[in-house]
Amino acid sequence: MQLPVLNDAPTSKGGCAASSCGSTDNQMDTLPDSIREKVQNHPCYSEDAHHYFARMHVAVAPACNIQCHYCNRKYDCANESRPGVVSELLTPDQAVKKTMAVAANIPQMTVLGIAGPGDPLANPERTFETFRRLSEEAPDIKLCVSTNGLALPDAVEELSKHNIDHVTITINCVDPEIGAKIYPWIFWKNKRIKGIKGAKILIEQQQKGLEMLIAKGILVKVNSVMIPGVNDQHLAEVSKVVKSKGAFLHNVMPLIAEAEHGTFYGVMGQRGPTPDELQDLQDSCSGDMNMMRHCRQCRADAVGMLGEDRGDEFTLDKIGDMEIDYPAAMEKRKVIHQAIQAEMDSKRLEKAEKAQQHKQEPKLTTRPVLMAVATSGQGVINMHFGHAKEFLIYEASPDGVRFISHRKADQYCGGDTTCGDGESTLQVTIRALAGCEAVLCSKVGYEPWEQLEAAGIQPNGEHAMEPIEEAVMAVYKEMAAADKLDDAKDSVRASA
Amino acid sequence: MAVKIIESCVNCFACEPVCPSNAIYEAKPHFLVDSKKCTECEGDFPVFQCASICPIEGAILDSLGLAINPPGSLTGIPPEKMAEAMAELQSH
Repeated sequence: MQLPVLNDAPTSKGGCAASSCGSTDNQMDTLPDSIREKVQNHPCYSEDAHHYFARMHVAVAPACNIQCHYCNRKYDCANESRPGVVSELLTPDQAVKKTMAVAANIPQMTVLGIAGPGDPLANPERTFETFRRLSEEAPDIKLCVSTNGLALPDAVEELSKHNIDHVTITINCVDPEIGAKIYPWIFWKNKRIKGIKGAKILIEQQQKGLEMLIAKGILVKVNSVMIPGVNDQHLAEVSKVVKSKGAFLHNVMPLIAEAEHGTFYGVMGQRGPTPDELQDLQDSCSGDMNMMRHCRQCRADAVGMLGEDRGDEFTLDKIGDMEIDYPAAMEKRKVIHQAIQAEMDSKRLEKAEKAQQHKQEPKLTTRPVLMAVATSGQGVINMHFGHAKEFLIYEASPDGVRFISHRKADQYCGGDTTCGDGESTLQVTIRALAGCEAVLCSKVGYEPWEQLEAAGIQPNGEHAMEPIEEAVMAVYKEMAAADKLDDAKDSVRASA
Repeated sequence: MAVKIIESCVNCFACEPVCPSNAIYEAKPHFLVDSKKCTECEGDFPVFQCASICPIEGAILDSLGLAINPPGSLTGIPPEKMAEAMAELQSH
């Protein structure tokens, strides 16, 4: 079975891509209903859902069968937030307890993933024991798994038995020569195989696994790490290949490489992409593929909404003392999920109406603008500038508003009020917002206000509690009306 | 004749299931090899299974006490480059 190809959906009449028209930048709008139904409450798969629903990972899978140059199994820093890092390894039994404790206490948690810290399918007993028990004891939780793909073909049959309808495969290349620069070795058939030979086997297994999952009707998302100078030019090809085989979503993530992580790329000084480079690549792939832009590259033991980590509230010590009545929790969860779903549906309708209105209005000819938004969820502007740990970046243009990415306000190794050369947190935040011309939040303090203005970023607290896309469009129109969007001023007047 | 797991082991469990002699066991603070059981894979495989999947350089020693995976052999990071990066970090 081949999944429908996303871009076969007719694009809207305005001539722009359907996913960026009007103010309905909802990547899910281009998906067939059957898929949308499966992912509408999955925060990792639906940009819309990630404003409402939470996820968690349980770290039951320590072993790995390959080495990636962006990974180092030695370090576990509590302040770090990146894949492959965990504080506490769990047994399947502990993982089941933790999942039920989180589900009861964070009812908007809909998804349990196993993502490491090694490769889940290199730990088949621990991984499948966890899935088997959860599908029996907590049937209202969606299960998903991510893998490097080496052991995937052998696991597909078992995966399909456990009610797992989402699998993520990390595919960084389809060319073994490029693969050899990313994967120094794999463990395969009782041998460590290095270089091109190892990469070739890994790539073959990934592609075979992808095809087998699609044949079983399991949704597949593909993750790729963008490594400038290594696979950046190649990822558009990867996008094409995986789409043609039926993957429904491609998530291109920036390389995280710092010397202190002790990874090959970190130590050797390989840089990650700039936000512009990442966006350009995502845009160039989006012609071929539904792109995901809201990934937070979370830890293998993350808990909560994307962008937050409440793992500290659910350590083994703490869950040991919790009494969980899961049937009761499940009733409560159901009611809350229905309410969230109703809210999302009504907002989706509202958005569609606004988009329709937007199309009726005379089209601006102004240049696109990036804006940063502070939100704690629900799709509205509801966070104080100083409290935001991350900002969502939106692009406003005459075609509408589209979500671009998130940017962290504190660094990967945060925890300090100063960083590097004595830069204050505020300065770091302002630097993270480079390229944005406005920042929308519920409130902004006096000091940051001045510094933001000085940096050419207009603070705006006038749209508190308003839906993000509407507020961004309103600010964009104000900027256009105030002639702040220099080029094309004349043509605006001409069409007015 | 037995291999040995030393303190740089990160307890990733990868070696335990691949040992043909069930000689590796979970222990604190790190995994250990039962030297009575370890056969160095003789008769089963031409290479040490544990050391072929272990991701940590220097964590498994052969019977002469030498690292089966010496520095730089798995990560590809030249040892002097690693030392340089670590010295740089400590100076901050």
